[in-house]
Amino acid sequence: MNRARAPILKLGETLVVSVQEALMDADLVGLRDELVAEVKMYRATCVIIDVTVLDVLDSFAARTLRHIAQMTQLLGARTVIVGIQPDVAFAMVQLGLTLQGTETALDLEDALSRLNLKLGRDRRAQ
Amino acid sequence: MADHESLLPESSIPGDEVRRRKEFLEFTDNDVSVLEGVNEVAIRYADSMIDDFYRHLMSFDETRAFFADPELLKHVKGMQKNYFMRLTQGNYDQVYVAERIKIGQIHERVGLPVKSYFGMYCFYLRAVLGRLQEEYKATPEQAFKVFNSLMKLTFFDMGLAIDTYIESRERTIQGQQEAIRELSTPVLLLRPGLLLLPIIGLIDTLRARQLTEQLLRSVRTNRARVVVIDVTGVPSVDTKVANHLVQTVEAARLMGAVSIVSGIAPDIAQTMVRLGIDLRRIRTVGDLQSGIEEAERQLGYMVVKNEAAESEDGK
Repeated sequence: MNRARAPILKLGETLVVSVQEALMDADLVGLRDELVAEVKMYRATCVIIDVTVLDVLDSFAARTLRHIAQMTQLLGARTVIVGIQPDVAFAMVQLGLTLQGTETALDLEDALSRLNLKLGRDRRAQ
Repeated sequence: MADHESLLPESSIPGDEVRRRKEFLEFTDNDVSVLEGVNEVAIRYADSMIDDFYRHLMSFDETRAFFADPELLKHVKGMQKNYFMRLTQGNYDQVYVAERIKIGQIHERVGLPVKSYFGMYCFYLRAVLGRLQEEYKATPEQAFKVFNSLMKLTFFDMGLAIDTYIESRERTIQGQQEAIRELSTPVLLLRPGLLLLPIIGLIDTLRARQLTEQLLRSVRTNRARVVVIDVTGVPSVDTKVANHLVQTVEAARLMGAVSIVSGIAPDIAQTMVRLGIDLRRIRTVGDLQSGIEEAERQLGYMVVKNEAAESEDGK
């Protein structure tokens, strides 16, 4: 069920989660477990979670996203949350949900350009 | 004139208010019948009244300017005559009130000063008084009675007309306040990916909300990476204002934009520390210049001075 609601796409060393519709708490937990397993399996270095379609992000969702970021960090992958809409962002800060310590980007394109920048530099350094 | 009327804003006052106004003026049914009783006298004197009235108006520069066009003068004379007769025709109801308001609006629209409005009413009453004395030579108490009723009615009319002046001013002020609110929260695109949000004036909860919403929208439409929030124009910062600022910064961050706060004045910095406001989660710099430089550095921009162009300008 989770596959349809939030498929995980593999793009080289990057995993892209494209959230398709509102997620139940159980879906979020499923996504978290699946994602952590795939990061390990594919030796991913980046995870991008696109939440553009969500018009609400509650405390459970915010906490789960933060946990995903922390867990993937332990496995050596950085997580970027992208596509939080203006209204959602405003509502979140009102509720004190600021995703502290989690990377964010405007949208998928923005996140990829940031990651590429980093990757490019890393390659040059090697 | 007809065109004017269609452009006027709809406004009326409720029947309840009309009743209260009449009560306050002690304008009773008795006054109505007294005025209706002199209708025939009014018709007889109408033309000479109006002539005197406009002779007075035309003998002052300030009021003459409004009747430069002879066609217009003829028209308003006709209107004035209608009004004069209307005063003694009874039925001082909602329709009458609406008419008075409309007349007031027209005068306000053409810019007739309130002092002239009052002055004209004063002349009106004096001119009528003269004629009443003449008409009721034998029964002066009757003249007094009619004048008394007429005075109440004209004061009622004056109140309605002047209200339209005040209402119009209030509408203007309201419009300006809205304009100021809009103007005071511009979000400026300085370079691709770099937004400038200069905050001027006090930040209250409503304004902080508008500010944040506008910033978030701009972040999305301009695909901004860095936002410089300049608070040089903010006169004071308390815990509440600081909280608003933190919320704005964090909301922008959720959309992937980094904020730099610039322009905190020395005395405001002192107050903030004394109040225990913690802005460590926000990147702050001293002035707008440093803010923009820092933002440009983060975005990878490098500003290079063109020495050649400068020496050319110097010539």
